[in-house]
Parts: sequence; structure tokens; C-alpha cells
Amino acid sequence: MNPAAVDLRVRLGRLELEHPLVDASGTFDLVETARRSRGDYVAAFPYAAYVPKTVTLDAREGGPPPRVTETPCGMINAIGLENPGVAAFLEGLSTIVGLRRPVIVSVGGNATQEYADVVRRVETALGEGARRFPDVAGYELNVSCPNVPGGLAIGVDPQLTAEVTRAARAATGRLLLVKLTPNVTDVRPVARAAVEAGADGLSLVNTFRAMVLDRSSLRPFLGNSTGGLSGPAIKPIALRMVAEVAEALPGVPLVGMGGIMTGVDALEFIACGATAVAVGMANFTGLEAPRRILDGLRAECAARGFARVTDARGVALARGA
Amino acid sequence: MTAAARSPHPRRARPERGEQWAETSRCRVVAARRFGAFTALELLAPEIAAVAWPGQFVMVKVPGSGFLLRRPFSVFTARGDRLGLLIEARGPGSERLADAQVGEALDLAGPLGAGFPLEGVRTALLVGGGIGCAPLQILTDALAGRGVPVMAAFGFRDGRQARVAAAFDIERLWVATEDGSVGRRGMVSDLLAALDAPPSATVFCCGPAAMIAAVQRWAAGAGLRGYASLEAHMACGVGACHGCVVATKRGALRVCSEGPVFALDEVVIP
Repeated sequence: MNPAAVDLRVRLGRLELEHPLVDASGTFDLVETARRSRGDYVAAFPYAAYVPKTVTLDAREGGPPPRVTETPCGMINAIGLENPGVAAFLEGLSTIVGLRRPVIVSVGGNATQEYADVVRRVETALGEGARRFPDVAGYELNVSCPNVPGGLAIGVDPQLTAEVTRAARAATGRLLLVKLTPNVTDVRPVARAAVEAGADGLSLVNTFRAMVLDRSSLRPFLGNSTGGLSGPAIKPIALRMVAEVAEALPGVPLVGMGGIMTGVDALEFIACGATAVAVGMANFTGLEAPRRILDGLRAECAARGFARVTDARGVALARGA
Repeated sequence: MTAAARSPHPRRARPERGEQWAETSRCRVVAARRFGAFTALELLAPEIAAVAWPGQFVMVKVPGSGFLLRRPFSVFTARGDRLGLLIEARGPGSERLADAQVGEALDLAGPLGAGFPLEGVRTALLVGGGIGCAPLQILTDALAGRGVPVMAAFGFRDGRQARVAAAFDIERLWVATEDGSVGRRGMVSDLLAALDAPPSATVFCCGPAAMIAAVQRWAAGAGLRGYASLEAHMACGVGACHGCVVATKRGALRVCSEGPVFALDEVVIP
């Protein structure tokens, strides 16, 4: 089969995506990349949707350095949700009106109400019409940051996750995703709680709590002591969790992620039931990563005779999805 | 022809502290010279070399399947179509790059970061510690091109590390080693008082945090202003991940994006 003939379009809830690849929150900054690009990178943005770094109501300084390092087959980070706050975020967003892709705003917070407050602030700015924005199609609630005090408190608790989701649901009619943490014994109760509270879909997984030592001092390397592990090292665990949720909640659109570096990695998440997939660490290997993974996905589909990428969805599952 | 005229960005004004390019180019190693613990690589990189500004860096992909994150390296030289990098083998990634062979191709993204401001510099005092000396050669070349007199003080741990001084082409260069095996015994900051820098001198420094702090104290005492280029562990190198922040008087700033060059007196060393 000719790879160019593969239909890569997917439907994430009410959102039509040109192909299944999005960027994982916190790994790609369109404003910064456009500043450093030879062409018009905003117009040529390769992902099917843009998920910016998590934004909170007020600015956050983040955690102490060092914040990142490579680990065997992966990396660890403890950024601590550094961000300029929702007002400055909206300012930045208004500079990329040339973006032809939908934006999914990643929202963070401490209290359950703070998430809804951020959503309301974005909705108000969009409704005012005072500034122009790219197409904000929805939100991803980050209830799973392992690197801020209490960051995991919501995401490991089905009831709190439901509360956050319900409050955000009340604040917007746009697509609402909830990003799940893998730092739980069973991810399914939290997944179910989010969907029952009004989430249109789920993103999984965020990073795994982990630790790296400085080899000479034998003290924790990261300023925050612990961090979140990501990259190819976590892919097999992430695939298992995506498959579990896909089997438990058939029909709920999933954004799968965890160490996707190649087209076949992306296809594996789709085979485990994901509708879309998010690319994280691979963005740090070079600007060409999204295009390379997308071309790879197309070729891998063609090689297996999938005329549509959706034909591959759930083939790894016991009963399909 | 100026770098600006060669630049493929006619739509953008040339930034005072260097153009930044996130795209990856494949660059062939044309020379690799070993200096003790360091390797000076010369790469055929006409596009990067044409616009590289002193103080900027490149992200280098480590060949082989065992490495994922790219490593940041200061631009050491940019002469004609050649880009020079100075590599110190510190971990498995830099060890592999220090071992790069002539003819091998490496993936580079850059130049990146905001370089040293050169406008208005009348005379320059360059201070480097260890691998932190790397950006001071391209800086010397640029200052020489502007007719600015340069004096430089480099500090190394020992004689083996100090062998890298031979990779530099700086006329007025003083060296200190902690073990006294080459040059003056002691820290590079001990050299500074002896150099008798004119009050109009601008200080440019790059090296370990303790050295930056010592240079800060000395410069404040001598009434000199200047710049410090900082290093940090990076993931993206292009301002996205916020992994490389350092403390400054303006708050936590990204080394890759707001830096790596900061005003000397705004850097806060913990």
C-alpha cells in the first residue's frame, strides 16, 4: 500500500484532527520555536493540535535547579509547573493567531476550584473579542504533576478528580480532557470518575515519580529530590495502562503517551486503544521529530495494510475498542 | 559580506546578541585535536558558522542508540565555513563526542541562546575556568575584529586540564592552575588583581559557579561591569521545557533562552 494513501484523520470527541499526533504538554513551546525558526513555523506547525505548557491561575516560579537529566532510555524532570500565569499565557497565545491547528490548553492548579477558575479566565478572554486568538478547542486538566506539593493529591483520588472535572465542565462547553497519573495502583477508578464527571476524553500517562542520584555525592541529583520519569523507559508501562483504560471504558477517546520516539511507537499506542497520541521527550531530540514520527506512522500503517489509522485502533485489546 | 547579508531571514532585524536557529543540520567533522581532557572539534557547518555570535551554543546529538537528549556546547570558534567546539569528556555522552572521528557527521541545532553584547566595549577582560574557556575564543576573534584590546585569564585544576590552553589563540593570556603545575598557583580569581585591568574594561566570564561568584566579588570591588555565561543541564535548548533555569535578580531565568549570557551582577549564585 502507498503510505501517502493512508488516511490519518481521527476524531477526538468533537474535535477533528488531521492526524493523531499532538505534543505532550511542557515539551514544546510554539512561541519560542517560532522565534528560532527559518520559516513560518506557526503556519507550518506539524502537530495536529497544540498543547502548551500547563498554565495555572497565578505565575509560578517552579522548583530549584537542577531540574532535568537523562536517565537510561529516558529522562527525569522536576520543573514544578513553572509558568507565567493565565494572564501572561493568554498574551502569548494571542501572538500565534497564524496557527492553523486547534489549541488544547493544559490547566493546572492546587485546589479543585483553581482549575475551573483558569478555564473561566480563558473563556472570558475568548468571549471578549478584544484580542485575537488561535482556535482554542478545549482543555486538558493536568491533575497529575508529580513535582509540586499536592500535585498528585487530586489525580490519585477518584473523588477529587471528579470534583475538578465537574467544576471545569461547568465552565466550558469545549472539549475537556483529563490527564491521568500512572502513580496509582489501578488507573481505572480515576479514569472512570473523570468520565462520569463530564470529561470527553482522557490523556495518559503523565510521568512516573522517580529519583536519580548524583553519582559522586550519592545525594539526590534533582533540586526537588524526586522528579517525573519519561521517555522510552516508561513506554511498556504506559501501553499497559492505556490498554487497561481502553478495555474498561470502551468508546472514551484516549490520548496515549509515554516514550513515543518513532512511528511504530505511536501505532502501538493506537493498537492499545488510543485515538490520538502525544509526543513528549522526542521533541527534545530535534525539531524534525514530529515530522519523522508522522511519516513513520504513515509508513507503518501502510506496511500493515491499514488504509485508515483508525483501523489499527484497539487491535491489541482483548475485545477491540 | 556580513553575516546579516548572508542570513536567510530578510524579514527579521538582526538581533544584537545573535540569530537563533532551532533546525538541525548535519555537519561533518573535519578536524579533531586532543588537548589532555579536551577535544577541539572542527565541523564543516557553513550556515551555523556564518551567524554564530560569541556566547551562543549549539545542541549536539550524541551518535549511537544509547543517547536521547542532545548536549549543549558553547561555540568555540566560527571561522569561514568551520564551526569549532571544545568538548570535555565528563559523562558517557560527552565522552562519545570527545571521541568523534574526522569524517564522521554530527547533528547540530543552532546557534542558540543570547550571546555577549559587544556594543560599546572599549577593552575586554576575559575570565574562564575549565571548559568555561570555550566561548572566549570566538569572543576574542569578534573583539579583535572590532579593534578591542583583549586580555584573558584562564584557570584550570591541573596541568592535564591546562593543556587545552594550547588550543587558544589569544595574545595576552595568563593561566593559573590549582596545583601550580602550569602558570600561577591558585584560582583564576587570584590572577585578576595582578592583571591591572583599566577601569573602562568590560569583564566577560564563563566557568563554574564558584568562579563566577569570585569574579562577581572582584568586579564589584574593582568597579567593573560585565557579563557571565552560565552552563546548565538542558533538555530542549530552545526555551520549551524550563529545565535549565538559574537564579537571577530578575527571578529564575532559562539559560538556553534568556541566557546563557547574563549581566555579571544579576546572577545569583546559591
